[in-house]
Amino acid sequence: MPPGHQMATGNVNSFNVSTNHNYIVNFVTEIDTEEHQILQWLSPLEPQRRHQDVRTGRLDSIGNWALETDKFKEWSDREDGCAETLLFCCGSPGVGKTYLR
Amino acid sequence: MIDRLCDRAGGKDIAVVGLYCDFLAQQEQSTANMLGAILKQLASRGSILKDIQVAFQKARKEYGGRGLQPSDLVEIIKKAIKSLSRVFICIDALDECTPQHRQELLQSLREIVRVSRNIRIFLTGRPHIENEIMKSFGKVVRIPLSPARGDIESYLKMRLSRDTDPYAMDDELRADIMRVILERTSEM
Repeated sequence: MPPGHQMATGNVNSFNVSTNHNYIVNFVTEIDTEEHQILQWLSPLEPQRRHQDVRTGRLDSIGNWALETDKFKEWSDREDGCAETLLFCCGSPGVGKTYLR
Repeated sequence: MIDRLCDRAGGKDIAVVGLYCDFLAQQEQSTANMLGAILKQLASRGSILKDIQVAFQKARKEYGGRGLQPSDLVEIIKKAIKSLSRVFICIDALDECTPQHRQELLQSLREIVRVSRNIRIFLTGRPHIENEIMKSFGKVVRIPLSPARGDIESYLKMRLSRDTDPYAMDDELRADIMRVILERTSEM
């Protein structure tokens, strides 16, 4: 058995959570169903977890002005296929791009 | 953003998919893993899980379950999207993944968008990646974001009200903090 594998089996039923937000290494529980296995196989990234953190630290009114612009409304609401596909919200680090609600 | 779109979608045939990029996780954020994370969020819908299951069983027999290639993932995502009236894909901090992965991800998204008009993509990042986005998509609608004074004020008030050491705080200190931070940020 390769050493890497041994280490993994030694960790069964433990919660190995790494420090970064998207990545849960080895989330083994008794409810490790096939569906769960398949989803893990698709990607180890867990954006929903990061999303929970973002929600918790957010003040909902912030940046509303940006999402009330015509550009945004057209992008999100227009259904006739003529709207632009891609919206790019840009700004320096820390201006609150992640925390738009 | 994701919550706003989800609230509006309210059970309709609309999917909202999110992805967060992070400097600290560049290695795990390969193109395949990012596309996989997008597909994962679409997998709970419709019959697409069956297709993924088949691919999974097949991969298991070949070389101990190797992962799907980006091109395979793109094909399954295209299929998953067909049954939906609208799909919003929101990717935060695209500037934080490696240039190579970013390029591949943008190309894959472009490929997905090509087959369907019901997709909307929302990207955030620092302004310098706009050229790369242009290269893949040709056209970009841009919303430049800068902190509005009112936003900073309300955020500061919220943070001060959550201060964990209320005895060290008084009205004067609170006013000082507000004043100094607002002064500094207006110089940004």
